[in-house]
This record gives sequence, C-alpha cells and structure tokens, in this order.
Amino acid sequence: MSTEHLISYTTHRHCGQHLLLLAEKAIYWQEEKMLLLADLHLGKAGHFRRAGIAVPGHIHHQDLERLSGLIDKTGAEKVIFLGDLFHSELNNGWFEFTAWMELYPDRKFILVKGNHDIFPPEVYKESRMEIHEQELVVSPFLLTHEPLAVKYQKEGLYNISGHIHPAVLLRGGGMQHITLPCFYFGLHYALLPAFGKFTGFSKIKPKKEEAVFAIAENRVLRL
Amino acid sequence: MAEKKNHTNPNPFAIARQWFINKQWKPFPFQEDTWNAYLEGRNGLLNAPTGSGKTYALWFACLLEWVNENPKDWKTKKPGKLQVLWITPLRALARDLQQAMQQACEDLGLPWTVALRTGDTSSSERQKQLKKPPECIITTPESLHLLLSQKNSSQLFKNFKSLIVDEWHELVGSKRGVQIELAVSRLMKINVRGPKIWAVSATIGNLGEAMEVLLGKEGAGKAIVIKADLDKKIQIESILPDEVEKFPWAGYLGIKLLPKILPIIEKSQSTLLFTNTRSQTEIWYQQLMDKAPELAGLVAMHHSSLDREVRDWVENALHAGRLKLVVCTSSLDLGVDFKPVETVIQVGSPKGVSRFMQRAGRSGHQPGAVSRIYFLPTHSLELVEAVALKKALKEQVFENRKPLEMCMDVLVQYLVTLAVGEGFEPESIYSEVKNTRCFRNLSREEWEWALDFITTGGSSLDGYEEFNKVQIENGLYLIRNKKLAMRHRLSMGTIVSEPVLKIKFVSGGFIGTVEESFISRLNKGDVFWFAGRSLRFERIKDLTVLVRRSNSNKGIVPRWAGGRLPLSTQLSKLIRETLQDAAEGRSDEPEMLTIEPILQLQSKWSAIPDEKTLLVEYFRSQEGYHLLFYPFEGRAVHELLAALTAWRISRLLPISFSFAMNDYGFELLSDTPIPVEEALEQDLFSLENLEDEVSTSINSTEMARRRFREIAAIAGLVFQGYPGKPITSKHLQASSQIIFDVLKEYEPDNLLLKQAENESLNLILEMDRLKETIARINQQKIRLEKPPKPTPFAFPIMVDRLRERLSSEKLSDRISRMQLSLENYAEKEGFLRKH
Repeated sequence: MSTEHLISYTTHRHCGQHLLLLAEKAIYWQEEKMLLLADLHLGKAGHFRRAGIAVPGHIHHQDLERLSGLIDKTGAEKVIFLGDLFHSELNNGWFEFTAWMELYPDRKFILVKGNHDIFPPEVYKESRMEIHEQELVVSPFLLTHEPLAVKYQKEGLYNISGHIHPAVLLRGGGMQHITLPCFYFGLHYALLPAFGKFTGFSKIKPKKEEAVFAIAENRVLRL
Repeated sequence: MAEKKNHTNPNPFAIARQWFINKQWKPFPFQEDTWNAYLEGRNGLLNAPTGSGKTYALWFACLLEWVNENPKDWKTKKPGKLQVLWITPLRALARDLQQAMQQACEDLGLPWTVALRTGDTSSSERQKQLKKPPECIITTPESLHLLLSQKNSSQLFKNFKSLIVDEWHELVGSKRGVQIELAVSRLMKINVRGPKIWAVSATIGNLGEAMEVLLGKEGAGKAIVIKADLDKKIQIESILPDEVEKFPWAGYLGIKLLPKILPIIEKSQSTLLFTNTRSQTEIWYQQLMDKAPELAGLVAMHHSSLDREVRDWVENALHAGRLKLVVCTSSLDLGVDFKPVETVIQVGSPKGVSRFMQRAGRSGHQPGAVSRIYFLPTHSLELVEAVALKKALKEQVFENRKPLEMCMDVLVQYLVTLAVGEGFEPESIYSEVKNTRCFRNLSREEWEWALDFITTGGSSLDGYEEFNKVQIENGLYLIRNKKLAMRHRLSMGTIVSEPVLKIKFVSGGFIGTVEESFISRLNKGDVFWFAGRSLRFERIKDLTVLVRRSNSNKGIVPRWAGGRLPLSTQLSKLIRETLQDAAEGRSDEPEMLTIEPILQLQSKWSAIPDEKTLLVEYFRSQEGYHLLFYPFEGRAVHELLAALTAWRISRLLPISFSFAMNDYGFELLSDTPIPVEEALEQDLFSLENLEDEVSTSINSTEMARRRFREIAAIAGLVFQGYPGKPITSKHLQASSQIIFDVLKEYEPDNLLLKQAENESLNLILEMDRLKETIARINQQKIRLEKPPKPTPFAFPIMVDRLRERLSSEKLSDRISRMQLSLENYAEKEGFLRKH
C-alpha cells in the first residue's frame, strides 16, 4: 500500500491497530486493508429535486470520484460504509452507484445499514454488497451506524460509528471562530466525519481526555 | 360615468360630513382633498401619520363612490362582489382597521361587509369568503399572495374598484414591498374595471419615488400626493447627566440616568420607553423593577419575541390606561394609537430621524396636544445626536426608503405561487413583471433562468434526475402535485427569521421565543431573564425550551441576532454639522453645554472634526499602536473602511491589525508601529479598484453565505417545516450554508448566489454609501493628531473592541479602571478642573 500518495493523513493507534485518518474524511485501517467511511448520503440531491428543491443533480459524482481516488491510493481491499450510504427512497443515484462498483470487481463492498438506508431488501440483494442490518464485528472493533449506548457496548470491542456528522468549533483571537468536521475517539466509541459533500454537521463538545482530529482543508490536525 | 354622477350630485360628501358631525368631529382638509381626488378617478399617495384619520380619508372615499353611484338604493343594494382590497403590513393592525371600517358602514346603514384575510383567518371563514365575497378584504402582503395561489383568484379580483396599501413606507424598502409590486402587476391585469390605487405613507425622504414604485411610472404621472399638514408639535428634550464622564462609553450612562425619568413617568398618564433591542428592553424592565418597586403592576414590556397573548394583553391594558409605563422595542413603532400615552422616552440613539419622529408621534393624541419625547443618552457623546435630531425636526429632514431591485428570490417564489394557483403563460407574465420597478432591468436571459429554475431545477440542463415542480401543459406553467402545492403555500413569504424555540413552563404555559443559538449555550440549571422573569433552564423537548421560575436575581439576558441598526446618512450628516457648530462655538443647546468638558478635552488633546477635515489620531498605549479615523458615517461604512484602509496599509509593509468601530469612527490596532505619514501620503481613500479591494479585504464569501439564508428560504431552496409543527420532512432538511457551498461549486452562475453577493455588498455593507463617503473624504483635509493618550472620541471605540472579547462583568471593571486612570492623567496634566 502506498500511503505516500495520500494528500494528508494522521496515524492514530487504537487498540493496537493502525488507523490512517484521511483528510478525505475516511479511515484506512492498515492491518485489515480496509477503508471505513460513513454518511455518504448518495441520492440526496435527487431526493431534493424530486421534491422541487433545485439543487444541482450531479453533486454526488464528486463524492464517488473522491472514493475512487482513495481506493486507488490506499489499495484497500474492502470498503465498509457505516450507514446512510443512500438518502432514503430509490432514485437514479443508486444505479449510478452500483455501476460505479463495477469498476472495482475485485474489491469487497460492505454496508452496515443506517437510518436512511431504507430500500426494500431485494434492492440490496440485487447489488453485490454485503449487507449488515445492525453491526459488524471486525475485532477489535464493533462497526455500527449510530454510536452505541454504553449498555449495548460489547466487552473487548471498541465501537466505531458515524451518524452524528461531528464537527468542532475552534476559537481564535478576536471574534474569530471556525467549525471544522472531525474524527472523534472517545472513551466508549469513535465517530467518523460525514463523507458526503451534501451533508451538514453537528457540533460536538469533546472532553479534554478525548482525542479529536479536525479536518482543515487538506490536513488532519490533532487538537 | 362615475364622474358624471359626481358632477350632477350637488353635495357628494354629504353622507360623510354628516357622519363626522354625528361624532362631533369635522373632516380635515386633507380628508376632503382625498375624497375629491379619489372621486375624480385619480390614483395617489396620502402622506399622513398614524392616528391622523388617514383611514377615514380613504375608506370614506371608497364608500362615497358607491353611494354616489347608487344614490337611490345604496342602503339596500349589495354589490355582491369585492369592491375594496386593503393591504396592511401588520396582522395586528388589520384587526383594528376592520373594526373601525365595519363600524363606519353600520353607522351609515350601508350593508357592506369588511372581512379579514390574514394568517389568523380560519379555513371555514376563508371558505365563506370564497362563496360570498365580502365588499372589502383587509389583508397582508403574504396573505394576498396566498389568495393568488388559489384556483379561483381571478374571479375574486376581477371587479374590485380600489386597492389601498396602508403604511406603504414600511413596505417600500423591503422584499414585502416587492411582493406588493408583483401582486399589483397581476391584479391590474386580472381586473377589468381599472381600479384606483392609493398608498398611505408616513413621511419619508422619497415620497415621490415611493409612489412611483407602487403605481408604476405611467400610473404615477397622473397621480396626486396629498399631504396631511396637521402641524403637530413635537418637543424634544434630553435627560442630562449631572456629571459627565470625560471618557464616555456606550451602555453605561443609560441606567445611571434611570432615577431621572421616574418623575417624568409619574407625571404622565402613560409613557412608552423605547429601546433599540429586545435585550435592552429586558434589562430596562428589570432595572426599573429593581429601582422603583412601587411601579410593580403598572409597568409592562413589549417586544416581538414575547408570546402574542402577552403582547395583546399589554396593548389592551395600554388602551385602557391601566399601565403607567411600557418598555418596548420597534414592536410598538406601528399600530393604532394608544390614547393614554402622553410621553415617549427614547433610550440611546434612534439611528435615524424618521424612526425618532415616528416614536415621538406615539404620544400626545388629544387635539392640539404636543408630542413629547425625551432622549436618554447611553453615553454622553450621544447628546450630540439629540441636538442633531432637533435640527432635523427644524429642517424637516427625513430618510429615504430605497426600493429593492432584482430580487430573484421573490420572483421565483411568485412564479411558483402563480403555478400553484391558476397557472401562468410566461410571455404575458414576463411583460407584467418587466413593468414593475423592481424588475424593470430583468433581461431575457435572467427571465429564462427563473423559468428553468422552477421547471428543470436550475441551469444544470443535463436532465440528471427527475425534477418535480412546475410542469408545462399547452404552454401553461402549473403545479398539479397537491403535496408540492401545499408545501409551497406553507413556506410562502419573505420574512425569514432566525431559528427560534418556544419557551414554556414545565407546568405549562407559553411565554415567548428565543433563538436557538442562545439556548444552545445554556446548561441545565442556568438562569436567564425573559419577559421580565427569572427563569431556570431545564431542558429542550420537541423544539420547546422547558423552564421553571427561579428566585435568583443573577441571570443572563438573551441576545437576539438582528444586529445593530445602521446610522442613517441623514443623521450622520446632521451630527457632523452639529459638531462643526460646536467647534466654532455656535451652539448654545443645553446638551452641548453639558458635554463641553468632553469637547474641550478632545480639542486640547486632539481636535474636533468638522465638515472640511477628516480627523486622524495616532497614539501608543500598552495595547499597541492605535490609528483612529473619524468619518462619522455609521458603523457599517466604518467596518468597510477599516478593512479597506488596513488592507491598503498592509501593502506598504507586512502588518496585521485588529479593528473596532462605532457610528463615529474606526480604529486600527497593531502591535508594531504603523507608518502613518507614509500611509496617509499614499492614497488610502482612492476610489480606484474600490469594489475589488473591498471584496478582498473583507471575507465577502462568508458575508454572502450568511445573506443566502434568507434568499434560499424565499426561493424555496430550504424548507423550514410546517409552522407550529415538529418537522415531519426531515429528509428534506439541508442548511442554506450547505446549499450555498454546493451551488458555488457546481453552479457558480446561479442568480440567487449573485443576489446574495449583491445584497451583502449593497444592503448590508452599503457599498454606495461607502463610495459617497470616500468621495466626501477626498474633498476633506486630513488632520493627523498625536494625542498623548486615548481621547474622549477614541475611548468608546476602543471599549467596543474590548466588549467583543471579554465577558461583561470583567469588562465594566476593566473600563472603570481605564476611565479612572485617564481622568487622573488628565487632571495631573492640568487639562481638567475637578468638579
């Protein structure tokens, strides 16, 4: 694998594993050769347009291009979507996505479903994706869409999730402030930033002892 | 035909005059002038203040027309069709209007119905209106557009004979005014009887232009302006401090003067105390309760975030004379008269002449009574403004309300509205829209863009994903999808507010609303003041903030966005003139005598700027190197000038500044010496490349992004959810910021983005005014002074910078320390005598 081609990443060791936190808003897990990403929200533009809200229809192409770039650069063998891959009802965006997957016949694509992944089961069955309804264990990690409450956590496994679209507020001198998407590694779970461009974010207030990595343009900064 | 009848009728006003006599009144000349002009079939503008009888001037004109046309049977004959369409900016006004107008009909024995059509009108009432149209409908700009979104709107509007737009001055400079322009363009085509159009407006600087906006160039040509010369006396008096701080800062003096207004309140039957912000209203109410507990029960507050029921209660109590004092914001600028109000107090700068005079006019309604307004300064330099306002009154200076141009957001909303209604045929609508003032420069390409936007979803004509909105059937643009139509109806309008949450007691009962951004900073148990009550924050549930009463008297006061009002061009100019008079010793106003020590110190250490000079001060303090400019042109322009001069200086050498500004001047602060002479020799105030350099020096993209929020909501790009209901279509939520970024990247030519850029430059940053200011500065001599310490003019600006950094408690400590050390210094140097 050729990490030197990546624009920017920060290595974060967790549970003895090497996780590359990529400025493209994904994690490359070196030991498993696995790309982890969450909240792509493909098809969202189409969904809006169907409802008469005039956003450009092709905004998701770039998300897929970015993902292609990551697969090529990291040489990942598996791509895991931690939920909200697709934004609600079926539209053309889905068929574009399945066509895109055909560009990578030798890679494995896995979806852990999120609250927006609501197609009828046969749609998923027809695709070549491996589908998990709730969670996927790849030791030492427990992969889910929504972060799990402490009582549902599993002994010996650390939960990595999405759903929140986390961002942190940084304050500078004067009245300056900026909100940046981030990776979050807390005591009980980790959060991935939303991968999709057409998504918002929600501010989190991390505690001192928790690790937060903000994405500033093309760099990943540990705070 | 109508005119002929009038000529044959020897006394066309008889009925109206008799009605006035029965009330023991007498029609004013302006009322009879209006009847005359109207009965001659003319359009016009009636310039009359609130409470002058303007309603009867136009309402009786409409009634007299009907009576004169039906001399024999007007008491029994019913027109059966809408006769008068009456538009008012405020729902609350509509209710009072309706009562007064209906009463007049009943007094005359005229079988007309005056109906309300606002957001409050029930659906059964609306159905009734459709089946049996009333003779007069009173409505708001928003509800008028809702009527245009009905399938049978052309039937309703086909036959009315007059269109009256009340309080036009409130609408003309806003997007609601643009809504009226568009509605008028449509109504004039639907209507087959060539109705008369009349505007009613308070005094503004550009009445003629305002009339033209409503009537169109052609219509305005034959129209008449009628002025109600009521010769109402306004008396302005300032609350003077016994002792002035030589180093004044905003916000401190006001409350200190509170004891001085207690006797004024005592003497008047009722008093309105106007502040400029909702937060100030909360603070003043709280302080009054604290300092004058005997007033408890006789004082209320009124601002737009309070629950409608609370406001209604306050208004009713005020009418009934049960309140001694109401602390309020611009929420009471408009509306019907409160007869018991004898006195008005304005706290802090009103920032504009018209606003001040309008507020003054809220007092003294007895015939021949004087309107009395007290000006209470929040810092001593503000007393200059009181003198400037007196001057404005003498010289009859009023601000202009500049009509908006090219509001594409309102246009696309309007087109969808028509498509939801009866559908539209683009060519005829294009020529109607082109005839409005707002869209007179609309090009073919821009029009095509708007059509694309609502039919294919924007310029990306790649047919990417099915877009559902307006369809074209046989050349007719329309919307058949019921769900889309419903969503559009619910999100119509141009008033886009900050996201707000309702405040409710845990035990039940709504109190009002606060902005989400304020609440998000609170933790459980935090105490804040709202509606004059100390409340303990419990939790947020279903978009509602749950609170309990608290006994703590230490709480924070919510802040509402909405920003500071800009100082008007007219008032800025008057302030400069007033200072010039003072500098030349030509002022004997008590206000100027009071602040003489400040002015003396200012001229000793530095100078007092006048019309011919631009004062620049440069000095060093512990904080660094300060460079101050005093153009006296208002905060917004100063913000631009600060960024621009800083940017231009930094071209000479790498240097970074922090800025501060107030309405009088601005400051650049650096931790390294500033090459002042060199910078001033360079043309800091060149008009060359101005727009580019301003855009570079400020974060213009960020400003446009903020501006886009309103535009996106009006144009239907963000769906705000159904009013009063939790959001049910969460899947369609995207913030305007995300959409802005997406459009910027994929559709940089989108006209709504362009509009956001234009609005942020012209409406928010006042680019035109910046150019005028720079042109003025270029006529002036620059006078550089190097005072030993911060001057009285510099001090409040520097404090403003501190304010943005520090929490308020620490700030007052720190400022009083600064003030003390400056005064000590001034005394030591022999500049000041002790009192």
